[in-house]
Amino acid sequence: MMSWIAELEAILGDEDVITDPERLLAYECDGLSIHKHLPSAVIFPESAEEVVRAVKVLARHRIPFLARGAGTGLSGGAVAVQGGVIFELARMNRILEIDYENQLAIVEPGVINLALTRAVADAGYFYAPDPSSQMACTLGGNVAENAGGPHCLKYGMTGHHILGLEVVLPDGTIITLGGHGADAVGYDLLGLFIGSEGTFGIATKITVRLMRQPQAVKTLLADFLSVEDASRAVSAIIAAGILPSALEMMDRATIEAVEASVYAAGLPTDAAAVLIIEVDGLEASVAYDAERIVEICRAHGARQVLVARDEAERTRLWAGRKGAFGALGRISPDLMVQDAVIPRSKLPEVLPEIYRIAARYGLRMANVFHAGDGNLHPNICFDGRNPEEVERVKAACQEIMHLCVRVGGSLTGEHGVGLDKIAYMPLVFTEEDLEAMARVRAVFDPEGRCNPGKVLPVRRCRAF
Amino acid sequence: MNEKTTMTRALDRALDHEAEKLLACIHCGLCVSACPTYLQLGDENDSPRGRLYLMRAAAEGRLPMTSRALAHHIDLCLGCRACETVCPSGVRYGRLLEAVRADLSRAGTTPGLWSVRFLLNHIFTSPARLRWFFAPARWLRRRAFARRWAEGKFLPARVRLALELLLATMPEEGAPRDERRTIPLVSSGRRARRVAFFAGCVARELFAHTNRATMDVLAAHDCEVEDPSDQVCCGALHAHAGEIETARALARRNIRAFERSAAETIIVNVAGCGAMLKEYSELLADDAEYAERARAFAARVRDVSEYLIEIGLRPGPRPLHLRVTYDAPCHLYHAQRVRTAPLEMIRRLPGVTFVPLTEAEMCCGSAGIYNLRHPELADRLLERKIAHLRRTGADVLLTGNAGCLMHLRRGVRRAGLSMRVLHPVELLALTYA
Ligand SMILES: Cc1cc2nc3c(=O)[nH]c(=O)nc-3n(C[C@H](O)[C@H](O)[C@H](O)COP(=O)(O)OP(=O)(O)OC[C@H]3O[C@@H](n4cnc5c(N)ncnc54)[C@H](O)[C@@H]3O)c2cc1C
Ligand code: SF4
Ligand code: SF4
Repeated sequence: MMSWIAELEAILGDEDVITDPERLLAYECDGLSIHKHLPSAVIFPESAEEVVRAVKVLARHRIPFLARGAGTGLSGGAVAVQGGVIFELARMNRILEIDYENQLAIVEPGVINLALTRAVADAGYFYAPDPSSQMACTLGGNVAENAGGPHCLKYGMTGHHILGLEVVLPDGTIITLGGHGADAVGYDLLGLFIGSEGTFGIATKITVRLMRQPQAVKTLLADFLSVEDASRAVSAIIAAGILPSALEMMDRATIEAVEASVYAAGLPTDAAAVLIIEVDGLEASVAYDAERIVEICRAHGARQVLVARDEAERTRLWAGRKGAFGALGRISPDLMVQDAVIPRSKLPEVLPEIYRIAARYGLRMANVFHAGDGNLHPNICFDGRNPEEVERVKAACQEIMHLCVRVGGSLTGEHGVGLDKIAYMPLVFTEEDLEAMARVRAVFDPEGRCNPGKVLPVRRCRAF
Repeated sequence: MNEKTTMTRALDRALDHEAEKLLACIHCGLCVSACPTYLQLGDENDSPRGRLYLMRAAAEGRLPMTSRALAHHIDLCLGCRACETVCPSGVRYGRLLEAVRADLSRAGTTPGLWSVRFLLNHIFTSPARLRWFFAPARWLRRRAFARRWAEGKFLPARVRLALELLLATMPEEGAPRDERRTIPLVSSGRRARRVAFFAGCVARELFAHTNRATMDVLAAHDCEVEDPSDQVCCGALHAHAGEIETARALARRNIRAFERSAAETIIVNVAGCGAMLKEYSELLADDAEYAERARAFAARVRDVSEYLIEIGLRPGPRPLHLRVTYDAPCHLYHAQRVRTAPLEMIRRLPGVTFVPLTEAEMCCGSAGIYNLRHPELADRLLERKIAHLRRTGADVLLTGNAGCLMHLRRGVRRAGLSMRVLHPVELLALTYA
C-alpha cells in the first residue's frame, strides 16, 4: 500500500505537502505560543474537492488532522497535539459570490475577515463580527471559534451572521448545513457546528450575512482615574437602556503600550482606564445616545469625554484598540491572555481582585477587553524563558479562572476552549454535561481524529 | 569560539542590540495578511511571523544556520517591510532580516548567489567599474533589435527578462531625456538653499533623466545642488544580500564624501537608497569611529518628495490634464515611513486628477533584484498590481524608486496598458516647461 504521504502528494502535488521537520516548526503553535506540538505534515488544499480527497486518505489510514486558518487563535486550537496533518486553508481565499439583494456573501474559509468587509464597503455594506484580529484571521477560524469582537455587543457573535456552511466530515462526506431561510428545518446543525472549534469537520464554504452600514456613527473616548469608576460607568450605560455598538475598556498599562506602538491613538497615558464607546444607527438617535453617554460618564467620574471628530480619528482609535494585544508585546517577550466572561455588574468587584492576584504572584498585568459584554481579557506579561515565572503565570491564571466562575461567569468569551482551557472545563460542567458533549462529538467524529485533544477533557488520561 | 557561535554572530548581535526585539514578536499573527509572499503562497513559513519563528529557532539553536528551510524562506522574503508597518509590538523585522542574511551568507547557505556576489563586491563598489559595466547596457537599450530580442524566443528566459527591464529604464515619451552621466548641477551663486545630491549608482548610469528632472525641480525651488565627487553606491543591495561588510565599507565612504559638503540636507530620489542612507546609523552602530558620524549623516538625508513638502512645494504653472495614480515604493512607505509627502505633491500638481490605487502600499514584486532571482513570484505580485492599476484608468502611474519604475513599466507594457510610468519629480518637472 502507498504511504499516506505519497497519496497526499499524488492529490496535491509534492510542493503542497510539507513533511520536512524544519518547515513544520512554524506550525507547532498558533497565536498562543505556550502550547507547542509538531504536526506530521502540513498540506495546502486549494478547493473543497482537494479537502475531501485528502480527508478520505487520512480516514483510510486513521490519521488525525485539523484545519488551520491564519493561526491567530488564542487557545491552542490549531495545534496538532497528537501529531497528524494540518490543513492550511489560507489559499482557499476566494469570495465566491456577493448578493446584495439578499444581503449575503458566499466565501471560502480562508477569506480574511477584513477582506470581506473591504470588498463590500463601497456598496455600503459590512460584515459585522470584527475580532480585534480581523486584519488577519479567517472566516473559517471565526466560524470554528464563534469569534466575537468589539461590535458584537450590538450585532452579536459570528454565529448570528452565518447563514450556511459546506462541511467536510472526518470520513470525507461533504454536507450542507443551514442555508434554507431563517428558521432551521430539522435540527439546527449549523448552530452546532459554529463554535465547535474544528472538532466536527472542516468548513469549506461559508454563507455569511452582510449588513447595511449605519447612517451615522459616533465614537467616544472617556478617561477615568480609577478602573472601578470606569467599570461602574459601563454598567450604568447599559442600565440606562442604551445599546452601544461597542463598549471597550483599556487600562493604563495597555494605554502606555499602545501609545508607544505604531498604533498610537492619542490616548491619555495618565488615565487609569479609558472607555471606547461607539453608538450607531439613525442620525438623531445617535446624537441623543451620545449625549446621554457623556452625561453618564461624567457622573461616574470621567475626567474627560471626547468625541471622534471624523472618520480618520475614529479609525485611529479603533486601530489603537485592535493593536492593543500586540502592543503589549513591547512590555515582555511573552504574553498570556485570558478570556473569561463575568456578569457585567460584577466588573467593579472582579477587576481590582484580578489586579491583586497578579500582584500577589509578582506579575505584570494589563487589561483590555469587551467591557460591555463583561468579556475580560486579562493579559499577563512574562518571559517564557524563565520556568519559575511560567509556573507563577499558570497559578495566577488558575486563580483568575476560579474567581470568574465563582461570581457566575464562564471560561471563555470568544477565544474558545481549545487546548488551553480544557483543564477548567470541570469547573463549569458536570461529568454528565461533558459526557453529553462527548456523545455529540462522536456523532460527527466517531474515531476522534478531527482536531483531537481539544475542547473536551480526555477523562481516561487525566484525573480531575 | 565554536563554529555555531561564529555563525550566528550577526543575528545574535542584532538581538543584543534590539534587546528583545525578536522576542518582542508575541506571535499574534497580525502581520501575516500584510505580507505579499504569504498572501501568494499561504505558507506560515513565508509569513513574517513564520520567518521570525525560524530566526528565533536559529538563534536559540533549535535550527542550524545551515538549515535549508531557513535559507529558503529567508531568501523568498521581499524585504518590503510591510510587516513592520503593522506590527503592534514594534518588531524591527528589516534589521533582523539583514542580520540573518549576513549569517546565512557567511554559512554559505544562501542559494545561487555567486555571480550576484561578484557583481556586488567587485563592480558595485567602484563608480569607474560601474560605468564600464553599464556602458554597453546604455548602448543596447537604444537599439531597435534589443526590443525584438526581448520579445523573441531564442534567448533564455532570464536574459530576456533582464533585457526587458533594461528597456524599461528608457525615459517615457514626453519626459525629460538625458543620457549624460554627469548631473547638470544647479549653482548660480545666490541660491537660497544648499543641498547635496545622492546620485545613486544604477540611477546615475541608467536614470540620468530622472536625476536631471530632480535638478530642474530643485532649481525651481531655489536650491543650489552639489554632487560630492567621492560618493559611491549606497550599499542597499549588499545589505539585502547579506554582504554586510561591503555595505559598511560603502557607508563609510559615503559618510566621508558627504562630510566634505557644507550642505545641510542630502537629497535622494531613489527610495531604496534613501532607506539605506537613513539607516547608516544602525549599520555602523558598532563602529566606534563611525557610529556618531553615521547618525549625523543619516539625520541629513531626505527623500526628494519629503524635502519639497518640507520647504514648501511650488509646482510650475503648466496644467497637465492627466489622471494620475500612485504606487508607494516599499522602501519609502514602510522603511522610511514617508507616506503622505508624495500624495501631497501629486495633489498640488496643476490639472491633475488623483485616482487612488488599491493596495498601493503592497510590494509590486520588484524588491531590488528579487524580480531577477524569483521571477515567478515577482510576476505574480506584478499581475496583482496590474489588475488594480487597470481599474484606475489612470494616464500616469507615479512611483519614486528606480527598481519599481522598471518592474512596473515592464508590467504595464506587457499588459498593453497605455499608461506612462514616471518618477513623481519627472511629472513635477513638466509643470515648469
Ligand atoms: C491580536 C488578537 C486579537 C484577537 N481578538 C479577538 C477578538 O476580539 N475576538 C475573538 O473572538 N477572537 C479574537 N482573537 C482570537 C482569534 O483571532 C480568533 O479565534 C479567530 O477566529 C481565529 O481565526 P484563525 O483564522 O486565525 O483560526 P486558527 O487560529 O487558524 O484556528 C482556530 C480554530 O479554528 C479551527 N478552524 C480554522 N479554520 C477552520 C475551518 N475552515 N473549518 C473548521 N475549523 C477550522 C482550527 O482547527 C482551530 O481550532 C484574537 C487573536 C489575536 C492574536
Ligand atoms: S505582528 Fe509583530 S508581534 Fe505579531 S506576529 Fe507579526 S511580528 Fe510578531
Ligand atoms: S519583509 Fe515583506 S515579504 Fe518579508 S516578511 Fe515582511 S512583509 Fe513579508
